[in-house]
Amino acid sequence: MKRKVLALILTGAMAFSLAACGGQDEPASTTTDTDNTETEDTTDDAAADDTAEEEESSASGDYSDIKIQVVAKGFQHDFWKAVKQGAQQAGEDLGLKENPADNFVGPKSETDIPEQVEQIKNAINKNPDAICLAALDTTASLDPINQAMAAGIPIVGFDSGVPDAPEGAVVANAATDNYVAGAMAADEMYKLIEDKVTDPAETVRIGVVSQEANSQSIVDRTQGFLDRMVELIGEGKVAIEGHDKFNLKADGAKVIMEVGIPANVQDAECVTVAQKILGQQDLIAVYGSNEFANKNIITANQNLNVLGADKIIAVGFDSGKLQLDAVRDGIYAGAITQNPVQIGYKAVELAVKAAAGEPVEDVDTGCLYYTAENMDSEEIAPCLYE
Amino acid sequence: MKAKNSLGTQKLAAVIALVVLFVFFSIFGDGFLKYSTVISIFDSLYYIGFMAIGVTFVIITGGIDLSIGTVCICCALIGGTLFQKGVPMALCLIIILIIGALFGLANGLMVSVMGLPAFIATLGTMMITRGLGSIVTNTASVTFPTGDAEGAWYKSIFKLQSQNLPQSMLAGIPTGFILLVVLAIIMAIILNKTRVGRYILALGSNKEATRLSGVNVVKWETLAFVISGAFAALAGISYAAIYSTLMPGTGNGFELDAIAGVVIGGTSLSGGVGSISGTLIGVFIMAVLKTGLPFVGLQPHYQLFITGFVLIFAVFMDVLNRKKRG
Repeated sequence: MKRKVLALILTGAMAFSLAACGGQDEPASTTTDTDNTETEDTTDDAAADDTAEEEESSASGDYSDIKIQVVAKGFQHDFWKAVKQGAQQAGEDLGLKENPADNFVGPKSETDIPEQVEQIKNAINKNPDAICLAALDTTASLDPINQAMAAGIPIVGFDSGVPDAPEGAVVANAATDNYVAGAMAADEMYKLIEDKVTDPAETVRIGVVSQEANSQSIVDRTQGFLDRMVELIGEGKVAIEGHDKFNLKADGAKVIMEVGIPANVQDAECVTVAQKILGQQDLIAVYGSNEFANKNIITANQNLNVLGADKIIAVGFDSGKLQLDAVRDGIYAGAITQNPVQIGYKAVELAVKAAAGEPVEDVDTGCLYYTAENMDSEEIAPCLYE
Repeated sequence: MKAKNSLGTQKLAAVIALVVLFVFFSIFGDGFLKYSTVISIFDSLYYIGFMAIGVTFVIITGGIDLSIGTVCICCALIGGTLFQKGVPMALCLIIILIIGALFGLANGLMVSVMGLPAFIATLGTMMITRGLGSIVTNTASVTFPTGDAEGAWYKSIFKLQSQNLPQSMLAGIPTGFILLVVLAIIMAIILNKTRVGRYILALGSNKEATRLSGVNVVKWETLAFVISGAFAALAGISYAAIYSTLMPGTGNGFELDAIAGVVIGGTSLSGGVGSISGTLIGVFIMAVLKTGLPFVGLQPHYQLFITGFVLIFAVFMDVLNRKKRG
């Protein structure tokens, strides 16, 4: 009998641990990618960037006594340092006596859910006027979130926000609109290949390497790129092939966009996919939609050496040492990066407004395009990380 | 003698399968038959190959080592972190190998002395090493030196790239393949011609009988795990050489690719039978399959679908062989 019980417990524990292993696969490998399934649906205001200036100038009310707490998903990584820098800037611009950057906390790692839940509780117990939150696990954080709601403390989501939060808990989100970001990559690439894709005599090919077809943020970056490229070149002139999710038929199209996605999120498999695309004779440009895709494009290129200004044009996304080096050395034309400084800035701005009872809505914190020329500039450098 | 024959049959079948696959992809794969693609196949099989050679010893004892994938990445992450702190590359590489062997030793002691099932012991080590990799690196990715940077010399152990090579060989010379074959030959000799190998094979077919005949089974079983750990660490070095940037939290799943290669190569999961040459062929089949499928234009979900069938078929061959023998 004892044995049976023991066996049962062991089996249960194993099943649980296996499930836990599987579940953690994704976030661990893409540490800084935002998986904002929730915010994506609501962030439709692409015009947010244009109105940002006005908002700042209209911020004439006295906010000095407003107290904001910020709970991020980390604090050591350069990404979160940049977010904190933005929060600090916003605190200064809005004239807060107590700068939100001094109340900026985050867990040691993105798997440390209990630590973050503790931090959220502490932040709420300090009874702030508003709280900025990027939750690791919404379900685990429900208690403090409900506590904040009961106390009437507005929560502003930032970065990946608070997915599936209870109705009314989160008043607004400050996050990257990955679809818009993908479109930006298409715009930048189009400038460089316009001649080659405008009614070409022979078929030309644009490659797209993507980590996977399940994560919403990565799908958005890919779809945004594809949609804008089709729009720029002209509908009916472009066919998309390589993956059922993105495929687009166009008879007689002279421009083909080929989407390559590895069967498993493993370097070896992604390099193979990239190598297959880079080996095509009619390839003129390639886009990678996150750090993983780009580092493997770069590894594949080490075997082929086909990327460069007068060769195949490459546009990337995110940072990472290999990609930064590739941009610096001209192997990549440039890359898109999220703007963590703006994420921090907008999050605090939204929180202050919500605390002051002003109406708030989701904002797209925008993206930046960096090249060898501007990557060391004051605006770009804080957004990049090795 | 009978067992040897059936192993030979499966090895032959594996070689034929490998040739058929390669010819198939050469005909139907768009741009598959190129020097750079062959190099790409080599690139993708080094780390799986080293892990597979090592774990073959454990599987022959009738055990399993699920920790090799994460040990591979964990050791490389530790080595890379040390290099960033200023430790010379040569020393880093030695430390990586030692750490791998120590993880193997821990696995071996848990199984042979403490009597834990290998599946559970190494599952635990898998989690420990995966966590440790994140702890050591503060969850940040680690990039090994590339190009002409200091310390990047170690890359030429696995792939020799130089401006002086002719254009057609720009992808580099696969020196890692030479290393893989040399080590495979050495380990095959150890397995088949030495006392060590005989004891490991014997305790795989019947541990109790081997123990009763006066062999120190604890020692030899532990040694099999140490070999597995050290080879996993070597796999980590080759991984760093080829892919440059390592992310903590990865490595899960590598072990299954390696174990699949071992089984396809004719080593029995129930122990007592196995060969290093078979393992190498099995790993080659997996690598050709994984490289070739994207080249024939198959979408990722179809690739998974087909790879699954290949695995089941391979294990079924193993079962059939065992029945014949039994």
